[in-house]
Amino acid sequence: MTTKQAGMGLLGSLAVGVLGAALLGRGRAAPPVRQRLLDILALPPPVARQVKRLHAPRLGDTPRGPLQRWLGIPPSPAIGRAARVRAARRLNRSAGLLAGSVLLDSALEHYRGSFRNPAMYTPLGVSALSLAASLHGKGDRHSGRHPFRSAIYAAAAVTGILGTGFHLYNIMRRPGGFAWQNLFYGAPLGAPMAISLAGLMGSAAEHVRDDRPGMAPRIFGLPAGRMLAAMSGAGILGTVGEAGLLHFRGAYHNPAMFLPVTMPPAASALLLNTALAPARRNRWITRWWLRLTALLGFAGVGFHAYGVQRNMGGWRNWSQNLLNGPPLPAPPSFTGLALAGLAALDLLEDEPDA
Amino acid sequence: MSDDPRFTPRAKDGRAPDVFRPGAWVPMRQHSDDDEVDFVIVGSGAGGGTLACKLAEHGFSVVALDAGPYWRPLEDFASDEAEQSKLYWTDDRISTGENPLQLGSNNSGKAVGGSTVHFAMVSLRFRPEWFKSRTMLGYGFDWPLDWREMWHYYREVEDALKIAGPITYPWGPPRPRYPYRAHPLNAAAMALARGCEAMGISWTETPIATLSAPRGLAHPCVYRGFCVTGCSTNAKQSALVTWIPRAIAAGAEIRDLAMVGRVETGPDGLATGVHYHREGRWRFQKARNVVVAGYAIETPRLLLNSANARYPDGLANSSGLVGKYLTVQANQAAWGKTEAEVRSYKAPPSLAITEHWNYDDDKDFFGGYCYMSQGPLPQLWANTQLNAHGLWGEPLMSEMQDYNHQVGLKIVGEMMPQERNGVTLAEDKDQYGLPIPRVSYSWCDNDKALIAHSLGFMEKALQAAGAKDIWRQEDDTCHLNGGARMGDDPRSSVVDADCRSWDIRNLWICDGSVFPTVGGVNPSLTIQAIACRTGDRIRQMAASGAL
Ligand SMILES: Cc1cc2nc3c(=O)[nH]c(=O)nc-3n(C[C@H](O)[C@H](O)[C@H](O)COP(=O)(O)OP(=O)(O)OC[C@H]3O[C@@H](n4cnc5c(N)ncnc54)[C@H](O)[C@@H]3O)c2cc1C
Ligand code: SF4
Repeated sequence: MTTKQAGMGLLGSLAVGVLGAALLGRGRAAPPVRQRLLDILALPPPVARQVKRLHAPRLGDTPRGPLQRWLGIPPSPAIGRAARVRAARRLNRSAGLLAGSVLLDSALEHYRGSFRNPAMYTPLGVSALSLAASLHGKGDRHSGRHPFRSAIYAAAAVTGILGTGFHLYNIMRRPGGFAWQNLFYGAPLGAPMAISLAGLMGSAAEHVRDDRPGMAPRIFGLPAGRMLAAMSGAGILGTVGEAGLLHFRGAYHNPAMFLPVTMPPAASALLLNTALAPARRNRWITRWWLRLTALLGFAGVGFHAYGVQRNMGGWRNWSQNLLNGPPLPAPPSFTGLALAGLAALDLLEDEPDA
Repeated sequence: MSDDPRFTPRAKDGRAPDVFRPGAWVPMRQHSDDDEVDFVIVGSGAGGGTLACKLAEHGFSVVALDAGPYWRPLEDFASDEAEQSKLYWTDDRISTGENPLQLGSNNSGKAVGGSTVHFAMVSLRFRPEWFKSRTMLGYGFDWPLDWREMWHYYREVEDALKIAGPITYPWGPPRPRYPYRAHPLNAAAMALARGCEAMGISWTETPIATLSAPRGLAHPCVYRGFCVTGCSTNAKQSALVTWIPRAIAAGAEIRDLAMVGRVETGPDGLATGVHYHREGRWRFQKARNVVVAGYAIETPRLLLNSANARYPDGLANSSGLVGKYLTVQANQAAWGKTEAEVRSYKAPPSLAITEHWNYDDDKDFFGGYCYMSQGPLPQLWANTQLNAHGLWGEPLMSEMQDYNHQVGLKIVGEMMPQERNGVTLAEDKDQYGLPIPRVSYSWCDNDKALIAHSLGFMEKALQAAGAKDIWRQEDDTCHLNGGARMGDDPRSSVVDADCRSWDIRNLWICDGSVFPTVGGVNPSLTIQAIACRTGDRIRQMAASGAL
């Protein structure tokens, strides 16, 4: 496998993504800057804060699903269409960030692995499509699920699971099998789940957006807000596992390497608490902790850029050190998941029982 | 020419080269020859460099003299085997015996940092029983050291060098986790692993003194595999980039291109300092204590060359054992070719290891061996083909076409200490006018049995890993040790457990020459652990007035 082939593969995947974006993005208006800023920070607009969150219209209880009854979760009132769409768009954004992170990371890593197996192109194509779907969803103010987006997200979720199988196979057939050496340097076991997470977040976005009048948004039969909080909390934990493994490989030689194994676990705990604890409106600690975690994801890129510099030749030798050094695209996974957590909080704060 | 470190000393005028920055310097404390320093150390390698650091950090005044140059790896080292032969000790020596040693590249270095500047970085602990091999295993000699104490000092060295090693080590008593994680295995190491798995024995990643993550200004390993010709990235944790910078920071002085010709003794029989040659003339450095750390050939040579009226057989030689019991290690290999490309020269040469035969005592010979994966550079490989098969011209060219498919396993095997093996002085003189050493070496039957066992086993392991055209490289040796061994009894050893000579209480020997036996692992970690211990012991003795 040559560099040229790998480059072609990369370009091809990007083309698929762009094509997907073009197909999906049928004339959407850009939101005003102020709105975008608030969205980026996951802050509800001030008016919405008072009006929507505290006096959300209650449209009457919806019947509980069997699973919900079994788990003893109280019936959920339905929420307004605008609030659903807003939450969905935020989820699209999280899914997009995750997909973007996967796209760059898997491009880098599979390029490093010389695309030895044609299957190694798959995550590039799928994450590029998910990114496109997410961008489209982010701009889409309509309610109701979008069949293409739903399909792409479902494919992404499945890709991650298949990828995990491939990676496990790669690890097991190396000498030593399931050993530290192979967990460190074989195909990274945790990585493919990131694309699954993107797919799950995206699917959640489509579920939330799907308004059946008088029904609270649900995911797999459970209240969407709680479900999302649980999913992003678990996702963060998984990502912590991966960062922990790789930072252990780096022997935590820099104290900053402890950050992603200390801050996000707390965020995850807060989210899991959110998912399971009795409804409560004011979760400001969780909110701020998630914002910090989101920032950490971006800061991680900076730390990793410094890590690249510490290799022989530093950034002057970028073409090698980007592959040798800590992966630049990896930390934003935390951002994506923290934003998903914030979206879950929004859903819950708009309607505590959602 | 004038700034070539091979001809003009760099460490002077109150500064020494900064090994981490091209062209840069670090401040260095400097002594005049008339200062009676606490310790003058001859040689700055695994033994001398480590001890210089420990003693300076304990507050002693220290001057370490090395005959070799002071390199800045980042700017002075080329990716070129021929150029890098500048790291080897290639002064005249005579090699004799039934199995004369090939001296030079594979066994001695001449540089600040000593042989560690071009060593292969394999950093292994002794098997505990080897410290009492006479009593517990029935051969060789007992060491005057306790393995548990050595376990403590091994830890200190592993941490000082940030050894990258496996999470759990399959053999011997438990050891703490290595400071850095193991490196990724290259294809040659995978072949070793597959062979071991097929033969049903354990293998692991080799604990190795090159960085798997950044450390200060030193870069992590880039896996280009030029290790045994000097590492130009500073990933290799040689004495040059670890102990020496620490020593200088703690106030030690290093003098490069300073060849010591004799150790002087005074009327009371104690050492008074050393005569050394630097910048074209002989000078004398006064010292309260002299440490000799020139490695297993140069240390005995210097002690013998220092003979005087009071000590006609050489210094510290009342036992007659200076220069005796030189013991090398067997370094035989089995080679083969695989269908798939291996490119074994990528990455440090010995990334995977099995110590199975060091810990299995069900053998019909004494001693043990480990074996490791290999990664010879092209020139070395061409030489190997020439020496082993007499290939030259067209046949050599066509054999080299398969270079990328070569895979090999090589032992570090324990040879038996024998009195007949050793260093004496020859008539001939070297460039400084000093008598050159005559090194004599012969294998005993046990050595041959060990070699035969290892070659047979490695052949099978290579076959099991899928290699073809397997052949044996039968004649190599490595790692010099012994020649001034330590012990409990002045009649049968040169130094005591603290590396202090029995005869002259302010003369110390701290390098590979103090080994009574060599074990089946590479020696540098043990040499450095002994130096750390000696440094601590000297501080204790100074505190209790026992110096
Ligand atoms: C190619 C190669 C690979 C090796 N690989 C490994 C390995 O993987 N693992 C391992 O554990 N060991 C390895 N070794 C062995 C290891 O490097 C040595 O055992 C160790 O460095 C010896 O330490 P030392 O202090 O006794 O001597 P050295 O480190 O050799 O230091 C002696 C120093 O003394 C200086 N000197 C000698 N005489 C005089 C004098 N009269 N005046 C002034 N200076 C003098 C020399 O210039 C030299 O710098 C390897 C060695 C070589 C050559
Ligand atoms: S492979 Fe690593 S240790 Fe060896 S020379 Fe290269 S950087 Fe140094």
